[in-house]
Amino acid sequence: MAKPVGPDLILQASGVRKYFGGIHALEDVAFSVKAGAILSMIGPNGAGKTTFINVVSGIYAPDAGEIRFQGQDIAGLPAHLVAARGIGRTFQLEELFGSLSVLENVMVGCHTRMRAGMFAAGFSLPSMRREDRQMREEAMQDLAMVGLDGRAHDAISQLPLGERKLVGIARALAMKPTLLMLDEPAGGLAAHEVDRLVRLLYTLLDNGLTLFIVEHNMPFVMSISEHIVVLDEGAKIAEGPPGEIRANEDVIKAYLGEEH
Amino acid sequence: MTLKERFPLPWILFAAAIIALPLVTSSSYLIGVMIFIALYGAVAVGMGVLNEQAGLFSLAHPTWFGLGAYAAGIVATRGIAPPWMGVIMGALFVALLSYSIGAPLLRLRGFYLANATFALLLIVEILLAQLGPITGGHEGLLGIPPLSFAGFTFETDRHYYFVAWGLCLGTLWFLYNLMNSRFGRAIKAFSDSEVAASSMGINVPRYKLYVFILTAVMASLAGSIFCFYLRFTQPGVFGFPLLVELITMIIIGGGKTLYGPLLGAFVITWLREAIHMYLKDLLPRMTAEVDAIFFGILIIVILIFMPGGLAGWVSQLGRVSRRVFGKAGRA
Repeated sequence: MAKPVGPDLILQASGVRKYFGGIHALEDVAFSVKAGAILSMIGPNGAGKTTFINVVSGIYAPDAGEIRFQGQDIAGLPAHLVAARGIGRTFQLEELFGSLSVLENVMVGCHTRMRAGMFAAGFSLPSMRREDRQMREEAMQDLAMVGLDGRAHDAISQLPLGERKLVGIARALAMKPTLLMLDEPAGGLAAHEVDRLVRLLYTLLDNGLTLFIVEHNMPFVMSISEHIVVLDEGAKIAEGPPGEIRANEDVIKAYLGEEH
Repeated sequence: MTLKERFPLPWILFAAAIIALPLVTSSSYLIGVMIFIALYGAVAVGMGVLNEQAGLFSLAHPTWFGLGAYAAGIVATRGIAPPWMGVIMGALFVALLSYSIGAPLLRLRGFYLANATFALLLIVEILLAQLGPITGGHEGLLGIPPLSFAGFTFETDRHYYFVAWGLCLGTLWFLYNLMNSRFGRAIKAFSDSEVAASSMGINVPRYKLYVFILTAVMASLAGSIFCFYLRFTQPGVFGFPLLVELITMIIIGGGKTLYGPLLGAFVITWLREAIHMYLKDLLPRMTAEVDAIFFGILIIVILIFMPGGLAGWVSQLGRVSRRVFGKAGRA
């Protein structure tokens, strides 16, 4: 995996703003992600967490602000170019490709690393077949990484929710990203599945990946994160290590409401 | 893909049967019907990929078919270039036109894209009828010379049978390879989730345009062969009735598989022949409208009992039998 250039800050967001009509989904959000670390973003429902991931990954263009990835501004870049630069992501509702098998889903993740064009593919040229075979093997390795190589040829609809989330991760890993953004990876998982997920995330970290996690599951976030950013109503209200966040008055207020 | 996956046995058998047919029959009626099946089948297969697998509901395929026919016919009849050059020039013309029309229109989705492409179909049909000096107007283009290439002239039905089926099987082979490649995965991916596909690095607008142009050009090639076979074209041939027929082929055959629309082309073409043969005393004037009544009933029946079309039904049969016999085998 590519080494991040420059200082050890892989992602730097400053003044990121996104409005949907009168709704201020993101209000001047600023923070940085350290390379090779796990940073989590938490916040109540509707705080703007998923919007932030969508803005970074290019699904939405921000109304203002700067997003630097490995030192270069990527704010407003279309999603497929952001992906090509090495930012992988998963989705809260998986967004897997239902008409493709598990393995083919992961192979879509190899897209930017493949070259075959329309005519090479249509005429089934040897170069294209070689590339396809190689990527198939690599995709199998990514599936093995999440423990699903046994289900490679199943349809997505045959998989339970927990395994679908893992396919989403394998698909993003196939992009060989530098930064992986996970949108609620533990949402809806049973306790033993969360344990498995934690082990997987530590393995990815050991492999040099930087992880940015948006999550609701507090015990999960507190145990895994080195650094936490708290969002409420589109604005950052706190930032720091888990111990600090747990004791922060504003965070408690945002989650439990004002005491009367 | 392994060799077995690249050349599936049923396909090889099918291709062999197609090649063998003219050698065992001398019926020019049979050969003639089979030529129509090949040409409509080639168009329907491309349209099936675009509409059902890429999820781009375009209704312009009769137009691409017609423009391919007219372009080749005009080039050959007016002596602008040899007939075979007309086929290529028609394809280039359609590629250019589908590019310039697809680039803005493919921003539309679902019903809106269908609407806009349907408008294109109507406009082109009117233009073909009105541009008399170029297209021959309502009477159509007459006196189209036969297709010839490198000193060989395609004259008999048998010659066109091989050209038409060569094109149809070539189209199938190309699309089969394509749909099992990076390109095909990208197309199926964006039809399931555009957001996820673009987050995987797929340039979704560009891939939409590619598949739109590709299937348009395939329809254009079929249209060019069509005009050289009939030696005649008319604006009405490429309008609404053909659109209904193509959609019927896709629904009945099953557009989620590649061979489904070709299966549909077989069923629909033979069904129409049967209707005309057996009901000609009852209904003396057999028009496209009469056909449409039968096709309409068939569509309703298929949608209720086989939502995946005949091809979907076949693969379901395969799954069920594998489950039944697979279990029996293990026990």
